[in-house]
Amino acid sequence: MTRNFIYASILACAGTLTYGLAANDYIPPSITVALLGIAWIVLFARGLHRFSGFAFAVFIILSSVSLWADVSPVLALAGVIFSLLAWDLTRFHQRLQMTNSQQDTRKMERAHFARLTLLIGLSLLGYFAVTRIQVTLTFGSAALLALLGIWGISALVYRLRSHE
Amino acid sequence: MSRIALLAALMGVTRNCMSRIALLAALMYLIILAGVGMLNGAMVALALPLVLYLLAGLWRGPEELRLTAERTVSAERIAPGDSVIVELKVTNHGEALEQVLLHDPLPAFLTVVEGSSSRLVSIPANESISWSYTLQGRRGSHYFGEIKATAEDHWGLIIKRAVLPTSGQLLILPPVSRVRHIAIQPRQTRVYSGVIPAHQGGTGIEFFGLREYQMGDSPHHINWRVSARQDGVIYSNEYEQERVADVGIVLDGRRRVNDFSGGRSIFEDSVLAAVAVSSSLLSEGNRVGLFIYGKRNKWTSPGYGKYQRERIMQDLALAETGETQNFKSLIIPRRLFPPNSQIILISPLGGGELNLLSQLRTRGFQLMVISPDPVSFEARVLGDSPSVKLAARIARLQRELLLRELRHAGVQAINWDVALPFEQAVRASLSRPPAFLRAIQRGRGAG
Repeated sequence: MTRNFIYASILACAGTLTYGLAANDYIPPSITVALLGIAWIVLFARGLHRFSGFAFAVFIILSSVSLWADVSPVLALAGVIFSLLAWDLTRFHQRLQMTNSQQDTRKMERAHFARLTLLIGLSLLGYFAVTRIQVTLTFGSAALLALLGIWGISALVYRLRSHE
Repeated sequence: MSRIALLAALMGVTRNCMSRIALLAALMYLIILAGVGMLNGAMVALALPLVLYLLAGLWRGPEELRLTAERTVSAERIAPGDSVIVELKVTNHGEALEQVLLHDPLPAFLTVVEGSSSRLVSIPANESISWSYTLQGRRGSHYFGEIKATAEDHWGLIIKRAVLPTSGQLLILPPVSRVRHIAIQPRQTRVYSGVIPAHQGGTGIEFFGLREYQMGDSPHHINWRVSARQDGVIYSNEYEQERVADVGIVLDGRRRVNDFSGGRSIFEDSVLAAVAVSSSLLSEGNRVGLFIYGKRNKWTSPGYGKYQRERIMQDLALAETGETQNFKSLIIPRRLFPPNSQIILISPLGGGELNLLSQLRTRGFQLMVISPDPVSFEARVLGDSPSVKLAARIARLQRELLLRELRHAGVQAINWDVALPFEQAVRASLSRPPAFLRAIQRGRGAG
C-alpha cells in the first residue's frame, strides 16, 4: 500500500506543478517538471531510494519558484505537500522493508497514514489561515521577522540534532 | 562510470553529509529567505508544512532506549533440516516507543521458515512484546548474542539505536553416517585392548603363531596336531592381540579443491565422511584427533570416547573452506601422533598432495586417503555435451593416475563417488584390512 501511495504522491506532485506551469503557458518548464517526475518514479521503482532526498529538494524548489511563474499558490502548496509525502513515505517504505512481518506492516501503515493526514490537514489549515491575514510590513520589519523565523527554525533543528 | 552511477555516488555523498533534518532545515531557510526577499507571503507560507513536519518529529521523538531482551531457544543441538523455535521477549523500561525496529541478526546458514526475525512495533512504557519464529539451517554454529533495536520518531528524523544482549546458542551438527568397522593396521598401537590387530601374540581372536606350552595356558589353546608331531613338547596357539590405536583425521578444507562454480562445494561430503570415520573409530575405543585444514586451521587434540566425539562434532559443525593453498605447512605433531600411527586424509585431492603423503609415509605413518570424487561431482552438473564428456574423461584419467601413484607409495586410497551414500560406497574398502585387499589385487593380477 505504501508503495502505491508513493507513486500517487510523486504523480500528484509532478502533475500539479506541470498543470500550473502549462496553464500559464510555460510549456518547456512544464515538460521538464513532468520528465523530472517520471525520472523520480523510475528511480523509485528501480529501488534507488537514495535519490528521494535530491528529488524532494528539487520539487520543493520548483514549487517555490513556480510562484514567480504566476502558478496558483494552492498548486504550489500541493507540490510541496505531495513531494514531502513522497519523500517521507520512501523513508517509511525502506523501514517497512526491514521487517517481514505483515501484521506489523499493516499496523504501522495505518498509524503512519493517520499521522500524515493530520499533518496535511494542519498544514492546509495553517496555510489558509496565514494567507487570509493581511499585514503590511516594511522591509526592515519583514527582515526582522525572517531572522526571528530562522532563529526559531535553527533552535528547533539544534534541539532535534541533539536528540540524534 | 555511467552518468546514473556518478549521480548515485554523488547522492550517496550528499545523503551521508546531510541528514534529513539538515535537508529540511536548508529547504526551509531557502523558502523563507526567498519569500522575505521577494516580499511574497505566499512563498513564506509554503514553508509551513515543513515546519510542522519538524515540530511533529520533535514532539514525539524517542528518548534514551531502556530495553531488555530475553531469549529461549527450543533446542541447542539439531541436525540439518530440523526446526528450532526461537522465542523473544523485549521489555521497555523507559518511555513509550512509537516505532521501534527489533532485529535479530542471523547468519547466512540459518533460514527463517515461519514468523519473522525482525519486528517493527510500538512498545508502551513498562510493557513487553513477545514473539517467536522458527529456524532451519545447514551445518554450523551460531551464538545469539544480541538483538538490535532502532527507535525512531514518526518521520525518521531522530534515531536511537541500542544493542540488547541476549544468550542462546544453536549448533547444527553434520549428519552422521554409520560405518560399522574401519579396518586400519597401524604399525604401532596403544596398550589398551581394542579391535586393531597389534602384530603381537597374546589373547585375541585371529591366529598369530605357535609357541611352547607355558603354565597357565588354557587347554583349549593347545594345538594338538602340531604337538603330536613333536616329541614331548606341547605347543599352544598364540592369537594376535587387539588394541586401540592413535588415529589422526586430516580434513582438507582448501577452497581450491573443494569449491566449484555456482556456489557448489564438495566439502559437505568431506565433512560427512569425517563424521562417519571419527564416530566409527571412537566407538571402537581408538584415540582419535582431528585436524581441519581450511578457513581456520584447527587441531582437535586426540582423545577417547563420547566426549571426544562431541568435541569433534562441534569442530566439524564450524568447519569452513578457506584460501589455504597447499599442504606444505601441514605438520603432524609428534607428541599428539607418534610415528607409525594411522593418519586418514579426507580430501578431494587436487594433485599437490603426493609429496606430502610420501613424506608422511617415510616418517612411518600408515596412511589412508578417502577422496570424494570431484570429477563425477562436477560432471553431473555440467551436462553431457561431447566437450564436457571429453574433459571429464581427461580429468578422470588424471585422477586415476594420481590414485595409482598414491597406492604405489603405500597409501590406501579410496575413491568415493558422492552420488552414493558414504557407508554404501566405502563399505567394501573400509571393512577389510588393506593387506587383504592387496592380496586380492595380486590374485586378480595373476589371473
